Amino acid sequence: MNSRNMALMGGAFLALTFGAVAQDAKAPTGPIEITVGAGAGGSPDVIVRTISKIMNENKIVENPIVVQNRTGGGHSNAYNYVLGKPGDQNTLLTLASPVFTTPIVQGTPSVIDQTVPIATLVQSELVLLTPANSPYKTLQDFIAAAKENPGRIRIAGGASGGNDHLVTALLEQKAGIKLTYVPHESGGAARATFLGGNVEGHFGTLSEGLAVIQSGDARGLAILSEKRRPEDVIKDVPTAKEQGVDVVYLQFWGIGGPPKMDPALAAWWADKFKQATETPEWKEYLTKTMQITEFHGLDDAGTYFKREQDTFRELLTSVGLAKK
Amino acid sequence: MVLDMLMQGFATCFTLENLSFIFLGVLIGQIVGALPGVGPAAGMALLLPLTFGLEPVTAIMMLAGIMYGGQYGGTLTSVLINVPGEASSVMTAIDGHQMARAGRAGAALSIAAIGSFLAGISACLAVAFVTPLLSGFALRFNAPEYFLLGVLGLVAAASLGSSPIRALIAAVLGLMIGLVGTDPLTGAPRLNFDMPALYEGIDFIPVAIGVFGIAEVLSSLERSDEVAPIRTRLRDMWLTSEEWAQSRLAIARGGLIGLFVGIMPGAGASVASLLAYLNERKFSRHPERFGKGAIDGVAAAEAANNSAAHGALIPMLALGIPGSGSTAVLLAALILHGIQPGPRLMTTEATLVWGLIASMFVGNVFLLIINLPLAPAFAALLRVRYVYLAPGILVLSLVGAYAATLDMGTVWMCLFFGVLGWLMIRFEIPRPPLVLALVLAQLVEMSVRQTLLLSFGSLDIFIQRPISLALLLLIGAMIAMTIVNTIRRRRVAP
Repeated sequence: MNSRNMALMGGAFLALTFGAVAQDAKAPTGPIEITVGAGAGGSPDVIVRTISKIMNENKIVENPIVVQNRTGGGHSNAYNYVLGKPGDQNTLLTLASPVFTTPIVQGTPSVIDQTVPIATLVQSELVLLTPANSPYKTLQDFIAAAKENPGRIRIAGGASGGNDHLVTALLEQKAGIKLTYVPHESGGAARATFLGGNVEGHFGTLSEGLAVIQSGDARGLAILSEKRRPEDVIKDVPTAKEQGVDVVYLQFWGIGGPPKMDPALAAWWADKFKQATETPEWKEYLTKTMQITEFHGLDDAGTYFKREQDTFRELLTSVGLAKK
Repeated sequence: MVLDMLMQGFATCFTLENLSFIFLGVLIGQIVGALPGVGPAAGMALLLPLTFGLEPVTAIMMLAGIMYGGQYGGTLTSVLINVPGEASSVMTAIDGHQMARAGRAGAALSIAAIGSFLAGISACLAVAFVTPLLSGFALRFNAPEYFLLGVLGLVAAASLGSSPIRALIAAVLGLMIGLVGTDPLTGAPRLNFDMPALYEGIDFIPVAIGVFGIAEVLSSLERSDEVAPIRTRLRDMWLTSEEWAQSRLAIARGGLIGLFVGIMPGAGASVASLLAYLNERKFSRHPERFGKGAIDGVAAAEAANNSAAHGALIPMLALGIPGSGSTAVLLAALILHGIQPGPRLMTTEATLVWGLIASMFVGNVFLLIINLPLAPAFAALLRVRYVYLAPGILVLSLVGAYAATLDMGTVWMCLFFGVLGWLMIRFEIPRPPLVLALVLAQLVEMSVRQTLLLSFGSLDIFIQRPISLALLLLIGAMIAMTIVNTIRRRRVAP
């Protein structure tokens, strides 16, 4: 074969490859699995099921999307499954806090450093609640009581090392107080302890918090975000910052791809998720659940995840759970 | 007022579409309940996306049907092949399978269906009429009470089987298995040997499938020539009037216990059926028959697990707190359909809530109609020689274990516990206490440590709270009675 023919063939080959790229802009073929480490009904599960439903129903993504719960091992069944499929075109991983915290607690390599960042989907603000009949009217009352009686103010929350526990640690750090954290197997169980009048404090997402404020069971002491919520029922609850305590903590959920995922495919997904978060259905979901979407895609999302990973590591170290 | 709402609920229910979906729901529940490994919660999650096109109320009716249908289905495999389909069917397996061996499988399945039905309908009435009252009660139950309830269960579990020492060995083994994984309080890893499969501890499912189903098959290999097919004659398929007389009160007592345990967000159908079974043995005029095929034991356990499944809806509807894994999926379904659960759900979404309550009456009737004629049909399955059944049981068990997590690790774990169960059969150590202790281990450990955090380390909390004090006295009385009985027997014996 002479050099001219080879050059021709090479050219044809290049044309074929690039032609394919231009044609379908890296759309994957076949059904897509979004793996989620939480059980059915958990927050991450509800979020990915909602967004997959929107993407399929609005034909943003034509491939059928299957949400697969791979529970167990603090989300490690789910992330190990995705980490074991480098370059796979049809699998995505739901990024929830255990994906960040389990490797830190177990002393295994970071998952975030290995997966390909695609998008942040949703953030949830937290509100510090106290029983409606408690003597604490403001965050300052609450903190003053904790300073007077160190360790005597009790917070009911979810599992140790989870968001509730870490935000409690953050509040302790920033306010210079010591609280007693009472962990529960689930957020629902913690809410039962709180509603039963057994503790002084409880962190809820805004929709959970709003439900118990409206029913007259609880009072909101502080919202842990940059600014107040606009809704009538909750607009009088000030932020922690306004009350002189710099605690801002957002729960967040995102999507990542398997290691070595084709960058063009990651970009395709980031674009699709962005479109989905701009639909009226998604906006309605956010309003109903009082969550927000601060969308970041690709490298921006990567920076976001890395920053959160550092925060998790710092807080887990402060509560003595990070494995060296 | 409540009656009006309920009538409106029935009106919502009685459309062709809604009735078909309720039927579909209970049918699927029946099937997933019977499959070991795949529970109602997992079944509901799988079908959740398919409900997106439906009206929210139709979707919730169907999903709830899977939830309580599962309690009916779990009975099948427990009775026929001694593999509990659900954690809450362990107690049914004990006497139900013994009845099956004696050729009374049809009667066991019938009483289970009738017991579940009566308890289910009563629990629906409770949900309709006294939800606000009972949800207040549920909140008075917290860590100290859960701890004592768990201890009550453990004390009771230790009395299963012929010898207390052997039962204790099994129970302690179960508690030890329960320690593996993560410290529930601090979140620190423990005893996980750096194996991801053990990070969250050892789940009930592979253990139950292993020590019951697989162990049974292994043990049959040793005596394969002797196992004759179980002879069942047509007249053995139905209840005798004597059996019905024995079971009536058992159903009433079991249903009541199930309802109260079911409404507590920390307990669940498995604890409910355990307590109901043991309570029944105390009341029974023939406690010596328990464990050897007592029909009232089956009736009480089945009534309890079904009313607990319904009772779990009470904190969910009144407070927005899921009372069980299945109600957690129902809550998620509400959110996905754009309905925000919480303490005001019953007022803001009255049509949906009352439609759901009415649908549960209808669903329970469907389940009774499905199950009664099927009981003899399924019982006839046992006429097949065990040699031919065994491979089927093995496949069903292992597929069930895999389906629970989609991880081969669970299958290996299942086989491991199969060998353990086989050893237990050989050394005559009863298996139910092990599984029950495993279910109770986390409840007991978590709640005692929560209690001490809440009380800042003081034990006084147990006697300061009225419900807790009552439970404490009950446990004291149970232990004292056991000791007195043992001493008496020793005096008489020699």
